[in-house]
Parts: sequence; C-alpha cells; structure tokens
Amino acid sequence: MLGFLDFLGTVGGNILSLPGIVGLALGMATRNWIVAVILGAGIGVVQMLLFGGMRPTHATFPEYAIAIAVGIAAALVGCAIRHKGATV
Amino acid sequence: MSNPSDPKPPRKGLIRRLWNGFWSPTGVISMGFLLIAGFIAGILFWGAFNWSMDLTNTEEFCVSCHTMETNLGEYRETVHYNNHSGVRAICSDCHVPHEWQYKVKAKIMAVKDVYHEVVGTISTPEQYEEHRLKMASAVWRKMKASDSRECRNCHALEYMDFTLQETRAGESHQKAIDENMTCIDCHQGIAHDLAPGYMEEYQKIVDEIAGEQSAAVGAPTTIDIAAIRDYLAIGKD
Repeated sequence: MLGFLDFLGTVGGNILSLPGIVGLALGMATRNWIVAVILGAGIGVVQMLLFGGMRPTHATFPEYAIAIAVGIAAALVGCAIRHKGATV
Repeated sequence: MSNPSDPKPPRKGLIRRLWNGFWSPTGVISMGFLLIAGFIAGILFWGAFNWSMDLTNTEEFCVSCHTMETNLGEYRETVHYNNHSGVRAICSDCHVPHEWQYKVKAKIMAVKDVYHEVVGTISTPEQYEEHRLKMASAVWRKMKASDSRECRNCHALEYMDFTLQETRAGESHQKAIDENMTCIDCHQGIAHDLAPGYMEEYQKIVDEIAGEQSAAVGAPTTIDIAAIRDYLAIGKD
C-alpha cells in the first residue's frame, strides 16, 4: 500500500506528466463528457506503459489507478474548459 | 432602449469581472497571435521549470542542508565518489529516478527532508544514528520495489564481463542473474554506513514486498537474504 507521502508524490507526478497535461488537452478536444473520461483513462494507461519502461507488471495497481484517475480528472477539467470557453 | 431614469445595475465585484473577462472572446487579438504567444509562453515556462528541477539534482543543492553532512562524509569514502575511471555518481544518480513522473514524485516526497531539516529531527550525530536504520529502510524499500531502477541507469548485469571481475564478484553476479535478484539485495551499504540490525530490517522489507506481490499475482515470491549473504560470505557492501 502507498503511504500518504507516496500517494501525494504519485498524484503530483501524474499531474505534471502525461495524464495531467495531455489529459487536459484531450479533454479540451471534446464537448462529450463520456469521450473525455475514456480519453483521460486511456492516457493514464499509456503513460504507465510508456514511462514505466514498457513493463506493465512493473508498476503496481495503485500507480495505475492513480494515473487513470488523474487522467480522467484532467480530461473532465479540459472538457469543462471547452464548454465554458468555446461555442463550438 | 434603456431609460435614463432606470436605476443603474450594481457594479460587479473585481473577481467576478476578472472571471467574466477571462472567459470572454477577445476582440483585439487574433487566434494566430494567441496560439503563437501561448506556444512561446509554454516553452518558456516548461524550460524554466525543468531547469529549476535540474538545479535541485546537483550535489551542491543536496548537501546544502546541515543534516546531509554525515551521509556526505560516508559517501566520499566510497567507490561512487572516487575511483580509477573518474566517473562519479552523485546523490541524484542513486536517489532520483530519470523517468519524469517518478522524478517528480521523488521531488515532492523530498519535501519531508526539508521539514525534518527545519525541525531538527536528525541535527545531532546521536539523532542521526537513532534514525539511520529507518532512513535506510525507506530507501531500500524503494529500490527493492523498483528493481534497483536507479542502479540500472548505469549498471547492467547483462553487460558485465564476469571474467574481468574478482572471482567472488563474478560468481555473485551470475547468481544474481540466475536467481532474479536485484542490486540492493546485496549492496545495501554501497554508499552509506549500515546500522545495526540492517539484515533483519532488509529481510522484513523483502518479505513485505514479496507478500504484496504474491497478493497481487497470486504466486508466492521470496528471497532469503541471510542465505544470500552466507553464500557471498560478506558482512556489508
């Protein structure tokens, strides 16, 4: 299990990595909340595969879960930005 | 048309006006200008951020805290500081991952070091010794869990020519390959002194991680550290 500091570090690392940044950008690319969630979760998995050294078993379940959760949250924020800041 | 006798609507607050202005389409700046300006601002911000992050990876930064004096002195006695090849591994080479998200995680977790420097948790040699095993244990756990990822940034068992190594080292590294061991299984004291009871502590870490992994994949995995050390006939390093 992750300790509290471990958890905070993992969340911060994901916010400043693909799930946070690309997740936000992907969320801004759609007005559909469901599509945003799928894209955000997808980028969470991609990040773990890409930066986990292409060894899916190397990362632990909590790391995957946090990367996916951060990806979804960022994509939802991106989608909200799209709704608020664009008419198309 | 508005009637001049109508009362004026109340003026909105500053935050509300800023918020509305932020989300209003611009009437004076083109889309191209916004894109180019945003792109340049992004490069500048990311460059500055990355540069600042790299500054915190320098040895000068790491040892600028009083509490790092003891482990700096120990590290300066090791082969990672002085060796025949002139290649040096500094603090961040062993303690900060190269992979971006793990690097950011390490930096965030290092905030606790600043906290303990400020409150003086290990400001005296006695306090340092009291906490030595706990601090080492945290690093060993991280290294064991990551399969000694930071060691492997420079070292690879697969690239070693065992015939060029001492007999004992060559045999040990071959055993490490055969039994799927990781660097920290034997090299706990590679850069800093070991605390009394370190073997029991490391065995505890190995058992806990094996328990977590077997719970995750449903297969028992364990390494007997005492047996490994008996085989290697070593006390430390």
